[in-house]
Amino acid sequence: MDKNFLVIENISKTFGENKVLENINLDISKSEFFGLLGSSGSGKTTLLRILGGFEKPDTGRVILDGVDITNLEPFERPLNYMFQSYALFPHLNVFNNLAFGIKENSSQKEIERNVKDIANLLSIENLLNRRIKQLSGGEQQRVALGRCLIKKPKLLLLDEPLAALDKKLRSKTQLELTTLQKKLQITFVFVTHDQEEAMSLSDRMAIMKNGIILECSSPEEIYENPKSLYTANFIGIANIIEIYKKGENYYSDDLGINFKLNKELKNIKTNILLRPEKIKIQSINNSKISSINSFNGEILEKSYLGSFTRYEIKIKNKIISVLDQNFNSNSNYNFPKGEKVICSWESESIKVLED
Amino acid sequence: MNNKLFEKYFVFSPYFWLVLFFFIPLAIIFKISISVSEWGMPPYQDIFLFDNGLKINTTFENYVYIFSDYYYIRSFVNSLILALISTLFCLIIGFPLAFYISTSNIRLRNILLVLVVIPFWSSFLLRVYAWKIILQNNGILNLILLNLGITSEPLQLLYNQYAVIMGIVYTYLPLMILPLYGYLNKFDLNLIDVSKDLGLNRFKTFFKVILPLSVPGIVAGSLLVFIPVVGEFIIPEMLGGSDRLYYGKILWEEFFVNRNWPGASALAFTGIIILVLPIVIFQMLYSRWSQRNEI
Repeated sequence: MDKNFLVIENISKTFGENKVLENINLDISKSEFFGLLGSSGSGKTTLLRILGGFEKPDTGRVILDGVDITNLEPFERPLNYMFQSYALFPHLNVFNNLAFGIKENSSQKEIERNVKDIANLLSIENLLNRRIKQLSGGEQQRVALGRCLIKKPKLLLLDEPLAALDKKLRSKTQLELTTLQKKLQITFVFVTHDQEEAMSLSDRMAIMKNGIILECSSPEEIYENPKSLYTANFIGIANIIEIYKKGENYYSDDLGINFKLNKELKNIKTNILLRPEKIKIQSINNSKISSINSFNGEILEKSYLGSFTRYEIKIKNKIISVLDQNFNSNSNYNFPKGEKVICSWESESIKVLED
Repeated sequence: MNNKLFEKYFVFSPYFWLVLFFFIPLAIIFKISISVSEWGMPPYQDIFLFDNGLKINTTFENYVYIFSDYYYIRSFVNSLILALISTLFCLIIGFPLAFYISTSNIRLRNILLVLVVIPFWSSFLLRVYAWKIILQNNGILNLILLNLGITSEPLQLLYNQYAVIMGIVYTYLPLMILPLYGYLNKFDLNLIDVSKDLGLNRFKTFFKVILPLSVPGIVAGSLLVFIPVVGEFIIPEMLGGSDRLYYGKILWEEFFVNRNWPGASALAFTGIIILVLPIVIFQMLYSRWSQRNEI
């Protein structure tokens, strides 16, 4: 696999006084499904637009498959860009929307064959004569995707590919998109503000904030071992606890309990991350309370989520979230509001945040 | 009045308007056009005479006269050509302007729109007269050309068909820009990026995406310019010379100089029919086409 299929080198971009991107460096492999995740204003869409050729970077280079494409016009780049709004041509039907990009250089026969192939791939054969206004959101998404894929791009850029769809359709389309990408082996780079979408689609993803990349890794790695406080909070639910060295162990003033860690810390004071599903919750009657990696709290809120129950547990002045898997169908298994419970966790589950 | 009845009348209110201000005046003009002319006030005879019973006193001589005299037909054709050329120039100048206005940021856009509309705040006659001053033999333009040494003697810029076209394009340009702007404003600019992304350069993008999607604006603006220019009288009168006769000018002379009301009415009525019929047919075909294409 070509590790440096798409190389983004020292890209910076300023709009007026506003620094939108600062020294972005990324290497994306061939056939990778790569996500750019960030809240609005993080610069993720600007980066995607630079890759598409719609913005010119102030500094830096973009190299695709060994070719420097930084100064190429959008119509000269061997890549395609799928817009968030899909931006289908309202004056053309589905067939002509799909054929738009290949009409120039193909014979009528080739056009018809290619459109048919792509329509089969996306299961939209029955829509070819429809007008754009007659399509549902999901169908529009497919046509927009097909219009790009028919060009057989080396790289497909997707701006919030699922944002315009309703929730149920979104999870279905997510799955289809990953299957399609694995089948076609085209490199996909997409932008999203939705962390679930980023996690489920990406092979690797980059977390962006204020024009810089905080972290870039696989979704598992970013969820389990985030480096920064921002990432820990941004992805999933996070219990962040400040601890400091006290004797052999570490102590938290907020919780008033001791933590045992597997490794020594460089700093005297540091933040740790404890994911809610890593915490075990037990009734106070049938277990002994340990003085380390465990606390005694009161259930403040509870919400039943089907496969999980989420508890908000109060200890001293801090509230800790816990996700408890519902193994038993016995309803007694759920703890009622106001119940005193014991929470405990393994030392390996404690993740130290670097900054 | 109950609701249903009100709705019915409300829906038909444009037709009442049309009847009141178009069909009734048109009928009056038609009536005058088939009357027999005489010296007096009004300068035509009644079409119904009560002289030993009812007698219908009409004539189609005026129509025969219009179509038999090449002078009238030529002036009408001249006016059509003038309107066509002026509309084309308005479109060529107005389209890029409207596109630029609709794509600029909100502050600049408002300033530009005010600049487009500002000429309407001063008198139309004054504006055309100003052109007369600019273009005349010892006018500003000739002065500049002489001082720059581009020409050794003053050019005859005024009193010809080119001055007329220029004056009309200048006057009617806002009527082209505003409807075009209205449509281009709704234009999804992403479509231009999509087209480029799919491999079309700027030139092809214009013809494959921007132009087809602006057809309604182009049609609206062109009709708004074309129709009044055919009957335009003041600009040819002030800036034009004797090299070309125009329909509006002849109509004016027939009415007010020759005091031939029936003849002038026949001319006006013929002009309206020749102009309105194709436009009505065009509008019907066009609305069917645009419905089919959902623009």
